[in-house]
Amino acid sequence: MKTTEDNARRKFLKQMSQAAIAGMALGAPVSSLLTSCKRTIDIPSTADSVILLYMAGGMAHTETFDPKRYTPFSKGMQANDVLSTFESRPTVLDGISFSEGLESIGQIMDKGTLIRSYVAADLGHILHTRHQYHWHTCYEPPQSVSVPHIGSWIAKELGPKNPVIPAFIDIGQRFDVGEGEELKAYHSAGFLGSEYGPFSIPDPTSGLDSVRPPVGMSNTRFEKRHQLYNDLISASKMGEYGSDYQKESLKASMEQAYRLLKSPEAEAFDLSKEDREKYDKYNTGKFGLGCLMAKRLVEQGARFISVSTEYVPFLGWDTHDNGHTRLVDMKKMIDNPVSQLIADLDESGHLDKTLVILASEFSRDMMVEGRPDKKVKEQVNQPDVIEDIKNYGMHRHFTDGCSILMFGGGIKRGHVYGKTSDERPCKTIENPIKIDSIHQTIYHALGIPPETNYEIEKRPFYTTPDGHGKVVHDLLA
Amino acid sequence: MMRILLNYKFIGLLLPVFFLGLNGLYANTVDSTITDFWFFHFLGRLHPMVVHFPISFLLLGGILELYYIRQKHQALTTSVKLMVWIGGVFAVLSAVMGWLLMRFDEVSGELLNQHQYLGIATAILSIVAIIYMTRRQSNPNKLNIALFRGFLFASGIGVILAGHMGGSLTHGSDYLTSVTPMSSQAELPIAFNASEFETEDGEISMEGKLKLLMQVRGVFAHKCYKCHSSDKQEGELRLDEKKFVFAGGENGEIIIPENPEESELIRRIKLPKDHDDVMPSKGKLLTSEEISLLSLWVEKGAVWPEGAEDISIFREAELAPRKPPLPSLKSDFVNTIDIWVDDYFQQNNIDWKATVDDGIYLRRIYLDILGLLPSPEEVAQFSADTDVDKDSKKVLELLSRQEEYSLHWLSFWNDILRNDYTGTGYITRGRFGITDWLYTSIKDNKPYDEMVKELLNPDDKSKGFISGIKWRGTVNASQRTEMQAAQNVAQVMLGLNLKCASCHDSFISDWKLEEAYAFANIFADTTLEINRCEKPIGKYAGTRILWSELGEIDSTGTREEKLASLSEKLVQPANGRLYRTIVNRIWAQMMGRGIVEPVDEMDNLPWSQDLLDGLAVEFVEGGYDIKALIYKIATSKIYRSPSVETAEVSELKSEDYVFRGMVRRRLSAEQFSDAVSQVFNPLYGYRDIKFNPYPENKTDTLPPFFVRSSLVANNEFLTALGRPNREVVATSRESQASLLEALELMNGNRLNQGLQLGAEKWIDEYDSGNEIIQNCYQKLLGRQPNNEELSIAGNALGQNPETGPVQDFFWAMLLHPEFQLIF
Repeated sequence: MKTTEDNARRKFLKQMSQAAIAGMALGAPVSSLLTSCKRTIDIPSTADSVILLYMAGGMAHTETFDPKRYTPFSKGMQANDVLSTFESRPTVLDGISFSEGLESIGQIMDKGTLIRSYVAADLGHILHTRHQYHWHTCYEPPQSVSVPHIGSWIAKELGPKNPVIPAFIDIGQRFDVGEGEELKAYHSAGFLGSEYGPFSIPDPTSGLDSVRPPVGMSNTRFEKRHQLYNDLISASKMGEYGSDYQKESLKASMEQAYRLLKSPEAEAFDLSKEDREKYDKYNTGKFGLGCLMAKRLVEQGARFISVSTEYVPFLGWDTHDNGHTRLVDMKKMIDNPVSQLIADLDESGHLDKTLVILASEFSRDMMVEGRPDKKVKEQVNQPDVIEDIKNYGMHRHFTDGCSILMFGGGIKRGHVYGKTSDERPCKTIENPIKIDSIHQTIYHALGIPPETNYEIEKRPFYTTPDGHGKVVHDLLA
Repeated sequence: MMRILLNYKFIGLLLPVFFLGLNGLYANTVDSTITDFWFFHFLGRLHPMVVHFPISFLLLGGILELYYIRQKHQALTTSVKLMVWIGGVFAVLSAVMGWLLMRFDEVSGELLNQHQYLGIATAILSIVAIIYMTRRQSNPNKLNIALFRGFLFASGIGVILAGHMGGSLTHGSDYLTSVTPMSSQAELPIAFNASEFETEDGEISMEGKLKLLMQVRGVFAHKCYKCHSSDKQEGELRLDEKKFVFAGGENGEIIIPENPEESELIRRIKLPKDHDDVMPSKGKLLTSEEISLLSLWVEKGAVWPEGAEDISIFREAELAPRKPPLPSLKSDFVNTIDIWVDDYFQQNNIDWKATVDDGIYLRRIYLDILGLLPSPEEVAQFSADTDVDKDSKKVLELLSRQEEYSLHWLSFWNDILRNDYTGTGYITRGRFGITDWLYTSIKDNKPYDEMVKELLNPDDKSKGFISGIKWRGTVNASQRTEMQAAQNVAQVMLGLNLKCASCHDSFISDWKLEEAYAFANIFADTTLEINRCEKPIGKYAGTRILWSELGEIDSTGTREEKLASLSEKLVQPANGRLYRTIVNRIWAQMMGRGIVEPVDEMDNLPWSQDLLDGLAVEFVEGGYDIKALIYKIATSKIYRSPSVETAEVSELKSEDYVFRGMVRRRLSAEQFSDAVSQVFNPLYGYRDIKFNPYPENKTDTLPPFFVRSSLVANNEFLTALGRPNREVVATSRESQASLLEALELMNGNRLNQGLQLGAEKWIDEYDSGNEIIQNCYQKLLGRQPNNEELSIAGNALGQNPETGPVQDFFWAMLLHPEFQLIF
């Protein structure tokens, strides 16, 4: 919608020289005075960048940001008694505790909002990727048209913030894993066109490879190659073929890619440039380093970045067994990097205009699959009496109460929204919030109006279904 | 010092340099304080106030100077001097502030550009006027006086025009004209010319009123039904039927016939965008044409005769086939395509152009029929051939190369039939591939009616198309597999959009929810329950083909019986739409744009109805032979005519598109990838194959001796080049390059390695740099390099070329627009 800074600049230079010539030549050309003026309506925005920290695989709320009564493991315990398998620890907010292992994040909650009442959709027999698709696009799959990822909508509406940094960067997810095709289905710009699709960095430690000349090619050689390309075009008879939008778009894209690969900003992808001490603070593995890259990218003017703990069926947050043991590791993976990211962004002032969201497709429970009043086909066998620690944990998919964290970009500081029941089923009992409201609130913070839509196959397709997502003003400062 | 400052060269340069500097500063400090600093924004906002200074002072200065020419009062010169100085300084200030305003408020537009352009020019003119004014004072010769006056008056004119544009920007471009008596006439909708229907007493005839009503209903349907029709009644108002329209909404009547001023409907559509009462309250406002159309309709009595609902407000194409009468033969064209195109050209005053040379033609037919490049030897041979029938012989020869032909067209069919080796649904057996069936059908050139029948009434190998994609879990009613089948069959085979009507009565056509369900029901085991916007309405679907002309389906039959019956009825020649749709798709594939566009909207107006109808009828008469259709297009004169450039992509989509010839196309992902494999080094190996068409052989033992990209799973390289993920039907590829594509080409591993290996091979094979260069030009572009190209590439490669430089040269050639486009 908006011209990039650089386009505007080039256009201006061109007009400037024309104007100067016209001025000198004494006659200003007068064309039609009645052409219409197109204004881009200015909507006040509180954020201009977004970082989505995605907890792929279903993060149990009672084991993380919404802990309930703790029941330590003992052989022969009743499964139905277990609500949390960790102790609760106080956070910086009065009366708010997190599950053990998230103490660092607990300390930065004065900088953001904790939502405890996200309610995921009923999509029947649960398949992670369908819920992930729904979370990321706001539409339930399948759809009759190819639906854009929220990052693509934002890339389309706001464009790159810095013209040499791709507007939508996706860190941490590989696509050659189980359900990889389903993952690809929503990591897509859909009908908006691949220009707005994700720039994918499956592994942040080799992220730099994506933005520098091919492996083994020196900078000088890279520059010479580009020069050769330009020289050969100028020497060819291309000019005789007139102006053609396809030709122009090819040349323009090549130029943009070349500038990105040459730009100093590309160093944001180079984690070795980071201060060693800081690097170590973030380094809990791929996810932690993804957070570090997100920080560096935001500082250089990235628009939308998604960092995923990565979805691989039965791994990560997708705990079908050993839930308690595995969550110790998962919490270690996120606690330091997330809190460090928020603290660093806050310190550098970027948090004011950067909206950070931490979320998952749904939650987990030991007993309920689906939601209490709408249970679906169970996928995990849970014995009523627990003898083995592998059965101690939240292994069923629960959609009726999930936690989301939001920081910065106009979000309230030190705020808690919504509530779940303290007894099983630990479902949402106050201020339920659905995905279309989450999306609309994000769009609102970015100044993207709710009626934003494109006509696809003659049907208006909105950022949220029919444009009906409601902004939750209570989350906004 | 003052003299230096007033030196005209200095000041003349100063202003542009100032702007460039300001702009450069801005552009180089994206994050810097300038973008955020409120004061600059504030200064920008002062522009509308400050501009009044140059307007008044420069004009007054000019007027006083005119007065001075007549009166010669010396005192006047002092006033003039003051005026021009103040005017000039403020002109520069205004330009700077205007520029700030533009940057901060992020406004843009054609008129704004002109305003900016003229504003800056005026500021410069006034500075030059000051310079000559100073010179006149020190050296009052005739030249200096004349130049001073010239520049002063010119800046006066500039200030008037720029001021007017500025006024138009703030108040709207029709601010002045809207109050003149001419304006209401000028604002009449283009599509409705009232005078055409005026009777002798100055009234509009009944026919005219009916036409007007149809257009009014068109506006209601497109702009208002979303909130005011059967599915939703905001403010208790419905606009889809006469009785509701005149009953009004919760606030009473909305129309007072013959009195647009008092009609609530008209009042609210005329309100400004941010007004609480404005309609439509969501989305775009009505255009001024639509507003005047509605006003005129109310003014003329808001006529709505009984039964008018049955008159369609959407264009609907004829279903039946039509054999157009041949135009009186004035030309000696043999190919009926050329006869129709010639007829079209004559009507539109377009001249035929000289046909393209043999090299370009050969490259086209190779890419269009086989998806491959011709070898330099073939180009030479073909060019040397003096046979007058060499074109048609060559096309026939290429069409007979079955495997290569099939592996090219496989991608086209995979796109439209949503078939791929990988994708959603396979994981839970919710989807079935049809590649085996499809490849065989293409290779055997199966008649199209047979193909359609086998897709609609499938066996195990062809069931994948109508069985859709099923994800585990519960799915929206509008996306159940039966409905997917109905939507996809309608879209792909009939060029009809049923997607809207599968959720609610369509706003974009006359198709109703119940009709969509009745069609979907054919694909169902049980009777479907109708859902409107995901809620059951307590009704069950009937069973019906979309057009009753095509016959009936026995609703009591089993699914198999229904499908068998459907397949027979859809392919009957009476269903002209089925065949218009496919000939239009193949035409678009080879000519860059459909006769009807978009190719999925066959109700849209073709640029030549005769050509479309004629091609479709001949296709049926010729036995539904797809290769024959390709042959016919490839051997037409229009196909051999020069390709046409398109400055803006919107030109292709425009309703008043004028056909002038083949539209320039971009190589598809598969064509590009196969060219690299063919010319340099195979990008895929045997292990990448997802479907092996010749199980007894390795695919790379048959021509073209490498693994074609249509046989491998989609990957990051092909995706970047535009191969769609086939989750939904894809009937066109993206025609524009993107940053992500360019990045993949610039540093992606697959291409990089392919070219490196290719470079090593070429170095072994050829003796010198020159030989490499010449072969590369011939193989990729089908021509020799010119001297300049030879010398540039020669310098890059040097005498004894090494792998790196050769690889880089290949890369530059592959990225060359002359290679990437089909001319």
